[in-house]
Amino acid sequence: MALKGRHINPKRFDRGQIKILLILLPLTLFMALPIVFIINHAFKPMEELFAFPPTFFVRNPTLDNFTKLMKFSRSAGIPLSRYVFNSLAVTVLTVGLSLLLTTCAAFAFSKIKFRGRALMLQINQIAIMFVATAVLIPRYMVISRMGLIDTIFAHVLPLVAMPVALFLVKQFVDQVPDSLIEAAHLDGANDFQVYWQIILPIIKPAIATAMVLVFQQVWTNMETSSYFINDESMKTMTFYMNTLVNASNGVAGQGVSAAASLIMFVPNLVLFIICQSSVMNTMATSGIK
Amino acid sequence: MSVTMHNRPVKVNKIRVKRGKLEAREARTGLIFMIPWLIGAAIFLVYPIFESLRYSVSDVKANGLEGGMSVTFLGSAWNANYAGAFERNDFVQGLISYVMETVISVPVIVVFALIIAMMLNQKIRGRSLFRLIFFLPVIIVSGPVLSLLTGDGASSLTVMDTQTVTTAISSFLPPAIADPIANLFASMVTILWYAGVPILIFISALQKVDKAQYEAAYVDGASPWEMFWKITLPALKPMILLNCIYTIVFVSSNDSNALILLIRETMIGSADTGGPDLAAAMAWVYAVVMLALCGIFTAVFLGRKDPYEREAKKTDRRMKRERRTELRIQRRQGRRAKRAHHPAAR
Repeated sequence: MALKGRHINPKRFDRGQIKILLILLPLTLFMALPIVFIINHAFKPMEELFAFPPTFFVRNPTLDNFTKLMKFSRSAGIPLSRYVFNSLAVTVLTVGLSLLLTTCAAFAFSKIKFRGRALMLQINQIAIMFVATAVLIPRYMVISRMGLIDTIFAHVLPLVAMPVALFLVKQFVDQVPDSLIEAAHLDGANDFQVYWQIILPIIKPAIATAMVLVFQQVWTNMETSSYFINDESMKTMTFYMNTLVNASNGVAGQGVSAAASLIMFVPNLVLFIICQSSVMNTMATSGIK
Repeated sequence: MSVTMHNRPVKVNKIRVKRGKLEAREARTGLIFMIPWLIGAAIFLVYPIFESLRYSVSDVKANGLEGGMSVTFLGSAWNANYAGAFERNDFVQGLISYVMETVISVPVIVVFALIIAMMLNQKIRGRSLFRLIFFLPVIIVSGPVLSLLTGDGASSLTVMDTQTVTTAISSFLPPAIADPIANLFASMVTILWYAGVPILIFISALQKVDKAQYEAAYVDGASPWEMFWKITLPALKPMILLNCIYTIVFVSSNDSNALILLIRETMIGSADTGGPDLAAAMAWVYAVVMLALCGIFTAVFLGRKDPYEREAKKTDRRMKRERRTELRIQRRQGRRAKRAHHPAAR
């Protein structure tokens, strides 16, 4: 079974596949469209950006937009590398911490029985439903009272407990059969070993999925920068890119914003490509039925 | 005989059972695993949410430049902010159209995801590539990329002429229903993009369906259509619910959602146009509506219980009843025996 799962592509092509391919191919084009669009958009010269009807593919690719972006950032007091470093540090810390906490909590929620479990799950459910924007002011109060304003923790801590990720991972842990855990206990494993050596490897696809989602949230987050950070040198790149786009509004801004969105999009794509093999390697290969 | 899983002493046939060492240890490890998450959630999720509940029934004023705010409870007129929220025409309108859109688009997204997942689970050439591409929208839908795309009009089907569909629909349906459907067609591509995670969840569930079941059904002469309804769909049921809830949450807490933008605007706005208290009230109304939507979907998908489970429960109840009668008879007989031994006690 495990071996079979690795080769998901059938070796031969037969006629039965045609009808499925006929439906899938056009839809695939739709799905891939936006990415092609973003990449093309960033390289368009000015007159193509405003062409009517809008063109999809770039005809005369230029690097104009990127040089303009560079020019803007050079005129600022703080070097671009500082923002890049901030963004990277914040993202790595948040994603790592939140995945650790989420998988721990999901394991406990799903496989360990203790009092108050149902209540905590209810609270998590409500937290999922709640609009994040509305808790901005209370969150600000908490952070300022803890003295975290203008520190890296102001970026990291508010996003560490992510209810949606917990919900998703917990659903996957639910599907790990209890007998597997019992067998490990019989073999003398303690709960931490069960968590580390059994649960984590099995739910790897879920972790990869959650990782992509959490990364999204953190990487594109501007709220922490604009509300919890006053010090310009502690803000993240997303925020900076956004101010650039806003500052250079009007006709020239279009090109800069296209280039900025490509730059912001590339890390997403890279992480996605790294994660995708384990995301796609679904549970069928991991010994559960 | 009923043994609850909680740690309190439980009555089992009048014997008091203390909570065992094993159970206590399990509860302890459970807490150890939970504590980091609990602390994070308590400080940055639960407390702020309760604070916002307090704001929503209070009068919140910012104290000028020195920062800080004064929160005074409104007392008997606690629902003033909620009343204010419902007086705002844009909020009510937004809420109604949000509900209509969600009710229509969530089933579309989930069904679409199911169909695609079924196809991607077939044996076709280039399957892994297809899976990759269908999951790709996940990195598009959230964040600035989507706003850029919608800004450029790339999210509506310019290839297909949606105008004819829209006018055709609105000609025979009242506008309250026709508008959301028209919106649905206009934002068809966005909807397809939302299907990324649901497709993935469905595929992983599909791969876990036991192949032997299909073989057995095939031997019994079932058609693929019957197999889908009798084997695949029941096996996917919990995942359908998960996907529905996930999609509702994803659609509703998206940054480009009109209601969220309105709430943010209200919160930052000055005291006469809004303020944090009104925004908090709006957010709570929104959260309750979302919860209700999830509840409706849950009721639809979990409403009918498994016939086997129902039968088992019935038997359980009957056995309990019989046991009670038995006990009663035993007690009565005991009393009678006592009376027979000590007739003087009467």
